[in-house]
Amino acid sequence: MSDQVTLTIDGHQVSVPKGTNVLEAAKLVGIDISAFCYHPGLPVVAQCRQCLVSVEKNPKLQPSCQQTCGEGMVVHTTDAQSTLARKQQLEFTLVNHPIDCPICDKAGECTLQKLYFDHDNANSRVDTPKVHKAKVVDLGPHIVLDQERCILCSRCIRVCDEVAGQHQLEFAHRGDHELLTTAPGEQLDNAYSLNTVDVCPVGALTAKDYRFTMRAWELDATPSVCTGCSTGCNIEIHHKNGRAWRLIPRHNADVNKYWMCDEGRFTYHDLRVERLASATVDGLPAGWDRAIAQAAKRLGVFLKDPAQIGVVLSAVHNNEDNFALARLAREWKVGHVFVAGKPPVPARADGRLKTADVNPNTAGVKAIAEALGLSTRPAYELEGTLGSLRALVTLGDVLPGAPTGKLKELELISISAHERGAVPHAKVALPSAAWAECAGTITNAKGMVQRQHAAFAPPGQAIAGWEAVVRLAHATGVKLPWVHARDVFKEMIGQVPAWKDLTWPREARPLALRFAGSRG
Amino acid sequence: MPDQSTLKQLVLGRKDVQDLSDEEHALPPDLMTVNMGPSHPAMHGTVRIVLTVDGEKIVKGDVQPGYLHRCFEKESEHATYTQVFPYTDRLNYVSPMINNCGWAMAVEKVLGIYGKVPKRAEYIRVIVSEMSRMTDHLTCIGASAMELGAFTAFLYFLKAREWLYELLETVSGARLTHSYVRVGGVSKDLPAGFDASLTNCLERIDGVIAEVEGLLNNNKIFYDRMSGIGAMTKADAIASGCVGPIARACGVDYDVRRDYPYSVYPELEFDVPVGTSGDCLDRYLVRVEELKQCIRILRQCLKQIPAGPIMIDDHRVALPPKTDAYNTIESMIRHFKHIMDGIRVPAGEAYAFVEGGNGELGFFIVADGTGRPYKAYCRSPSFVHLSTSEQLIKGHLIADVVPIFGMINMIGGECDK
Repeated sequence: MSDQVTLTIDGHQVSVPKGTNVLEAAKLVGIDISAFCYHPGLPVVAQCRQCLVSVEKNPKLQPSCQQTCGEGMVVHTTDAQSTLARKQQLEFTLVNHPIDCPICDKAGECTLQKLYFDHDNANSRVDTPKVHKAKVVDLGPHIVLDQERCILCSRCIRVCDEVAGQHQLEFAHRGDHELLTTAPGEQLDNAYSLNTVDVCPVGALTAKDYRFTMRAWELDATPSVCTGCSTGCNIEIHHKNGRAWRLIPRHNADVNKYWMCDEGRFTYHDLRVERLASATVDGLPAGWDRAIAQAAKRLGVFLKDPAQIGVVLSAVHNNEDNFALARLAREWKVGHVFVAGKPPVPARADGRLKTADVNPNTAGVKAIAEALGLSTRPAYELEGTLGSLRALVTLGDVLPGAPTGKLKELELISISAHERGAVPHAKVALPSAAWAECAGTITNAKGMVQRQHAAFAPPGQAIAGWEAVVRLAHATGVKLPWVHARDVFKEMIGQVPAWKDLTWPREARPLALRFAGSRG
Repeated sequence: MPDQSTLKQLVLGRKDVQDLSDEEHALPPDLMTVNMGPSHPAMHGTVRIVLTVDGEKIVKGDVQPGYLHRCFEKESEHATYTQVFPYTDRLNYVSPMINNCGWAMAVEKVLGIYGKVPKRAEYIRVIVSEMSRMTDHLTCIGASAMELGAFTAFLYFLKAREWLYELLETVSGARLTHSYVRVGGVSKDLPAGFDASLTNCLERIDGVIAEVEGLLNNNKIFYDRMSGIGAMTKADAIASGCVGPIARACGVDYDVRRDYPYSVYPELEFDVPVGTSGDCLDRYLVRVEELKQCIRILRQCLKQIPAGPIMIDDHRVALPPKTDAYNTIESMIRHFKHIMDGIRVPAGEAYAFVEGGNGELGFFIVADGTGRPYKAYCRSPSFVHLSTSEQLIKGHLIADVVPIFGMINMIGGECDK
């Protein structure tokens, strides 16, 4: 018994695994059957009736999302019957749809707009007034609902059921007056609620965080990986003119499928908060040259007896930054190596996407330190060691367990994207690019090394963290021969046995959404 | 004690004429390099010619265009099909309407609606095209005459050109960069009273042409400066790809409007003037005759233009009426999609060409099924004509560069794209 079935769709022969539906099979041969309610990551309900196709020897039209492929099946998507059905279905869908495109956040990436333009494109034949419903329904902490725009596809209801495991949305009333609402006494407040906004084919559900801020077609999309926790959900940064406007999940069957958590979506705000944009010496702005010279001078005293120097790696920074600093620590033969990270939040772990470890790269730092033969200790053990330390080089701003008073006595050199935590106490602070601004890789809890692309330039004088390490190394007489993150990566995979087969993916150029057509 | 001539040189720093030796007295025998342009009143647009001259005679002329390059073709790939119209305005900016028509025809060809544009729209396109052709020729002849010293002819022709510009402004809203034509028709109908004002305008222009002909045709200076200057043979014209008035002056009997008829030109009667000697004088004479033919075409158009729609009734290309866009969701979406994503043109390619002011102006489009061209190419006649100019000016005097260049009528915007 073969596991494959072969069918014909619009004259194209296609072979698919058993159980595949016709809609997915059609995609394989480049035929995009329209649909509102179907989503590859959600259970099929076949209620929008937009994907009707003709199947030979079957007198009735079949919803292609629900119709599983059969051996020898002959499907037509462009015949008169199914074309007319789609056209009429769209006409019905539009009967009560408000004329909101100019003020709707979904305009430009709206499935309804796309399908109307593709399949109907006819004038209105309705001369009765539209049924009016509530325009601004506050569903919960993150989401506002416009009931008029809703086309009742139930994708959002299923997202809550499937992704969050909480049934918080429901349809009420019937016919023309049917509408989406929360169950009595409920709020749309689950940890994955913003996925409903992504899957909404129209602008019914809008994120409070994004609505009325930016038109979708103005944005550029750069693929990246979420740094909110150790899951490493694949995302797209949607940005314009050096500023991120939203994070959208990107499909990865092995990590996050089509989803991500609400908390992760808001991590982009941190890119514009408390940024360290200029190198500082003793708290005052300085150029790179002076800052590096000062750092080398202050460290130089202790380099003869490196047991007095400590280095702190960061589970928040990417593999390249950490590898560079770890390499430097080995060259210097420093006495102490720590790993800093944000404290775990056990309440976060939900067995779905969220984990207790809110650092994106804990596994990566561990692997790098092991590969380089450095014995590391967690940063909260720092306090006990401070007595024997005279100088400390840190990556990142998180430095738990180090009392401010003690830090001030040290020659503290910080490489950080933010000016907070331990950084304001640093004798020399070197500004580094944040995760959205530099090329690099991070390793999630499963040990998967994933690539982050630079979406836009870092602020002010900031440069990639590994580059700051290289400059510091050169000033202290250590040669690190890297000019690109790829160079660091190549040396790194040579050293870490588990990563030896990895390759450096090509730089992704931002995709202008205006050229992407409707992504619906 | 130095001799007297050396002393004089030491004291005055120069020699007197009588102190020069015979060799020194003669003109320097070596060639000289002179820059003409890029900023020179006679260099229409901006183009630079590095002239190598032997005295006054031109030995070599290195023509260097490109100062007005605006990446027309690349920019078009990033604009929707409709957004390209303003870019075409800036090609031959003396006859933008013809460029508009050429682009619209190319898109219509890929869309498969070529020839299905409503009759009235086609007539309007011909009317505005012929008016543009007139502004083009009026400018070319007027400016060239001025550069030869005939300022009066220039003023008379520019006066006439301004009448046409004013009329075109009432049609499109803009004096120069009209962006008036649309895929599938034109953007708005002719204004009320256009018929009468154009008739009146043409009558007056008739008079102006007669006046200027009286000033130039039997003018000894004009005749001597134009006749036999910059001559090109028929074979050369064909070999180098010359078109339009330049080729016709050489005896090439080719006009896109007659030989590959488009729009409603088959319904119109006009003659194609052809020259014999291919020199500057013939180019002038051909252009003057074409002006008269334009007037003839326009008068026929005004008689024959039917009433009716000015835009094709096809939802793929036509914007919905504003009242519908504001009041029904269907039209609103259509309007939004047309503006934001552009007219969706099915994958395919097409070349459409029209008779521009300077000859065959072609647009080649490769469509990939989106709202923006995958590739756009413009065959600009000015570029071809400019490439022949080095041959034309060789052997002539520096002063002859001016009429030759004037009659080639290189338009920087079109040549450099």
